[in-house]
Amino acid sequence: MNSMSTRAERRQEFVLHSTSFIIFGIAIIPILNALKKTEATHIQVVSPNALSILLNDLYIVLSVGLLAILLGIVCAFYLEEWLPKTNWGRRWIESHVAILTGIPSVLYGILAISIFLSYAGTLKVIDDVPSAQNTEVIPFQRHTTLFLGEVLIFILMVMPVTIKTTQEALRSVVTPVREAAYALGASQWQVLMRHVVPIAFIRILAGGCRAMARAFATAALLIGTYIWHYTTETDGMSNRFLLFLGAALVLSVCSSTLVEIYNSIYNSNSA
Amino acid sequence: MLTDEKQPVLRIRNLNIWYDDKQLLRDLSFEVQQKQVTAFIGPANSGKSTLVRCINRLNDFTPNFRSTGEILFKGIHLHEATDPTSLRKQIGMVFRKPTLFRCSIYENVAYGARISGVNQSEHLDTIVETNLQKTGLWAEVENILEETPEQLATGQQQRLCIARALAVEPEVLIFDEPCGELDPIETVKIETLVRDLAGDYTLIFATNKRRQAARVSDVAGFLYSGELVEFGATERLFTNPQDDRTEQYVTGRLG
Repeated sequence: MNSMSTRAERRQEFVLHSTSFIIFGIAIIPILNALKKTEATHIQVVSPNALSILLNDLYIVLSVGLLAILLGIVCAFYLEEWLPKTNWGRRWIESHVAILTGIPSVLYGILAISIFLSYAGTLKVIDDVPSAQNTEVIPFQRHTTLFLGEVLIFILMVMPVTIKTTQEALRSVVTPVREAAYALGASQWQVLMRHVVPIAFIRILAGGCRAMARAFATAALLIGTYIWHYTTETDGMSNRFLLFLGAALVLSVCSSTLVEIYNSIYNSNSA
Repeated sequence: MLTDEKQPVLRIRNLNIWYDDKQLLRDLSFEVQQKQVTAFIGPANSGKSTLVRCINRLNDFTPNFRSTGEILFKGIHLHEATDPTSLRKQIGMVFRKPTLFRCSIYENVAYGARISGVNQSEHLDTIVETNLQKTGLWAEVENILEETPEQLATGQQQRLCIARALAVEPEVLIFDEPCGELDPIETVKIETLVRDLAGDYTLIFATNKRRQAARVSDVAGFLYSGELVEFGATERLFTNPQDDRTEQYVTGRLG
């Protein structure tokens, strides 16, 4: 009986993993397509302010990041505290979360760039303002599809990391503490609010920092691309390079600081 | 509600328990009388903890766990009666390892009252003092009530756990190897405490120390690999066992 159950489990694992690989395989097709498309399209460029791109992107990273972290935390609480370990939905989500957290943030960056480039190719981009009198001008920052693409990427990137770290934080609240509280007649909600959340809080926070670090790392790549893309003809080579370097540096520093915070919290709290 | 003194607090009939495909308890039937100490002895993995955890439904959290048979608490079926939360307020539990919450000694004892919605400080003060006095801990911690319980010795922590469980005012109190991690002196204190409490509460005591069971209990049951081999008055069980395995166990030749 025992070997049978493990075999069934193994088969389930196999199905789970193969579906995820197929999904990712399908996801690669539009990326390749987009890259091919941009090669063929000639993009006319206008030069937006590099600083405005940076601020705009930081704004997106922070707001979407916070939203995704909150969603991830809620999701992790539901998975860990309400669903039993044997629930197939939980197993499905957990295996996908494991795969998504394993993908390096650079790959997400490439996905984001490909989405950006595919839509940038269809943008009505203008050289100078006087010639734009007859056409509708859509500023880069307010382009909905681009914005949604970016939002999607950040959610896809930040949420799995948050789910995983939050689940680990919740598991760090040991069973004896929960059982002691339950044995005194505490309800599940009381156990959650009085014991689990206070003990796991700092680790959940640390997990959020780590997820944000990932978002910043990808944002660095993206902003670099935007700047590179939009400053082709108006600015000199060295200027572009400096802008690129500056943006990347700012975001890398943010990212590594957050990772440092995560590590210090995790190490001080692990004893 | 209880007019007949003879009515058993707990009546268990044909209880079977499985974890995955492994059967942990086989066809258990017994009764627990009011205001008595009922002990369960047996070697490791004989199902003592599984049994006592069933009584206040702590096994509900274990996945792949299922049971048949019935457990009647004051004549009401355990799984139909009420929600487990109010049931656990009537059936308290003390574990092998003292697990105290990360708050002051005072708050630990006041925990049960607080989650039931008691907030008046005078009322809480009374609860804390009476229950600490019941466990003989009041004199030792009177001046450090606002400090964390980590500085206490393991035995004191265990008595604090008992005080915390008593503060919920349960009818039945389950002890799951409460002296498993304690030194002999503290063990004696806990045993004396259990004897003192027997007049006011119905106590269920799981232990793998046969002499301890002989010292504290009125009624004892011998569990061996999930089976209730023998159940009866402690004195008779230890002096005149009916089953060979019980005799081998109480004389130290088994387990």
